[in-house]
Amino acid sequence: MKDSQQKRAATAAELTVATPEGVLFRLPLAGPAARLYAMLLDIAIVLAGVNGLGYLVYWIFAKAPGFGVMAITLAEFAIGFAYSALLEGFWNGQTIGKRLFHLRVIDESGLPLRIEQAWVRNLMRVVDALPLAYLVGGISVLSSPIMQRFGDRVAGTLVVRETPLSVPTEGAWNEQKYNSFTGYPAIAMRLRRAATPQLASLIQDALRRRNELAPYARREIYRELAAYLQTEISPFPDELVEILSDEQYLTNAAGVLFRDQRPVRLHNR
Amino acid sequence: MILDLERFQAKERPYWNKLEALLATFESRPDRRMSPAEAELLLELYSQTAAGVSRLAHGAVAPELSRYLERLVARAYAELYYAPPKRSELWHPRRWLRVFTAFPEAFRRQSRYFALAVLITILGSAFGGLAVRYDPASLDVLLPADYLRNPGLRVRQEERGKNRHLDSAQLEAAFSAQLITHNIEVALLAAGLGVTFGIGTALLLFENGLLLGAVAVRYTQQGFGLFAMAWLLPHGAFEIPSILIAGQAGFYLARLLLRRREDRDMRGAMREWLLLIAGLALMLVWAGLMEAFFSQHHAPVLPYGFKVAVGAAELALLTLYLLLIGRKQTGRKQPSAIGRESVPTESR
Repeated sequence: MKDSQQKRAATAAELTVATPEGVLFRLPLAGPAARLYAMLLDIAIVLAGVNGLGYLVYWIFAKAPGFGVMAITLAEFAIGFAYSALLEGFWNGQTIGKRLFHLRVIDESGLPLRIEQAWVRNLMRVVDALPLAYLVGGISVLSSPIMQRFGDRVAGTLVVRETPLSVPTEGAWNEQKYNSFTGYPAIAMRLRRAATPQLASLIQDALRRRNELAPYARREIYRELAAYLQTEISPFPDELVEILSDEQYLTNAAGVLFRDQRPVRLHNR
Repeated sequence: MILDLERFQAKERPYWNKLEALLATFESRPDRRMSPAEAELLLELYSQTAAGVSRLAHGAVAPELSRYLERLVARAYAELYYAPPKRSELWHPRRWLRVFTAFPEAFRRQSRYFALAVLITILGSAFGGLAVRYDPASLDVLLPADYLRNPGLRVRQEERGKNRHLDSAQLEAAFSAQLITHNIEVALLAAGLGVTFGIGTALLLFENGLLLGAVAVRYTQQGFGLFAMAWLLPHGAFEIPSILIAGQAGFYLARLLLRRREDRDMRGAMREWLLLIAGLALMLVWAGLMEAFFSQHHAPVLPYGFKVAVGAAELALLTLYLLLIGRKQTGRKQPSAIGRESVPTESR
């Protein structure tokens, strides 16, 4: 189990929050790429807005173009800073770009960010954008365990990923009516005892992602998993295994692992 | 031990759905405070779901389900422990006018960082001035622009108005906007470079002082001291102090980051830093307007004595403002006992 957690930490950074009630939960952090795309989109929106405003301003100041330039220069500057700061402050850590890319700025403690934090992290962009193309900020993100640019470090904020989630559907092993493995309770028990949580979740994931896998990949993965279970863990009789496809074998194994157990006590308070 | 997922989900799902519905109503109207009954219900559902998260954490059984539940717990946690400011309060004009008194207060509270910024600038200008005075060859390095090296030429051009791209108020207006935005950006950089533990801030201030000292000595040497005064003081009276305040904000930030995490009062500190920035930005708006509309007009139009007098008056007013406006208390702000890691106790 430790192993799998470490592996996960290596592929995707997470923030672990400990609440005062002693609950631990993890929030997936946003990587530099997603943040860059969101920022580019925001920049495009600001530029479009400022340009649109520019036409209006030049029309208003048609007789006094110098003042028009003054107004538009100041407006561009102010909007450039205020766009992200105001939106993040009032929209719970999201700009339009962040919303579309499912990102959100939050406080390091897992709580929503406050308005002054939004301003600090956005004013600090001046430093993060140095010397060009957000080089300093990018290095800061990559060298930080919780992917903070300097603005985030000062403001005590970070950016999390919020891919929409729904309650996961139940696995195929729940829909299955009859499980031939239950005819061999001793071997089934052996499987249940010997299966580590990793192995169990591997089988479960393999079945759940059935439709995401390419046919040949699915065939290979199922064949290897079934062969492994059959030879190393729980040798069911050959006459039974011969009539089962690898997928059916795994579905049965998952049924043994995740179903038909004595009720577990849910409330231990 | 492997959890009976099916049973677990069937039993707990109603709680999750209820919690999700409750959170959706809260999140759709952030300005409303929840009733005691709602808070109690939220707390109960939160505890129930959190218990589920703990159970799932013991085996890597259902990664998707854990992720879903963790998100749910995170949202409930945010609702329970964080009360957003009321929008009606945020948009109150008095809150924003407070900046004008809060800025000098913050300035005085952090005056030792201002003193440090002044010291470094003085060191820089002394270095620049002495270098130009005793080693004229250093001019090429210190004053990169040709017009700064040749005061005589520059003054003649300025006075004849030949070198002036600004022949009308129109262009002066455009010029002022450029000055304002550029200066604010430089000031923000000085304030933000506090993250380099103040080294970047110090270098920026030193370089600024260096240029200032070199130009001052060069122009005085060649007998254009009064011209330079009249040229620079009307906007410099606001511009130079505002860069110094930016340095102050930078050093304040550096000191904050050098403190232990537990000793930082981040909330107060961020407010302080932002107040300094807001104040100096306003000062730079004034400085930019003065530089474009006033400083560029020379002797035949505006006598030098008058320009210097205006600059001196500005400086005096600014000093009075920074020292006298706002509450009288000037004691340094004590770092709050509440560390940043501590748990916020506010609740809706």
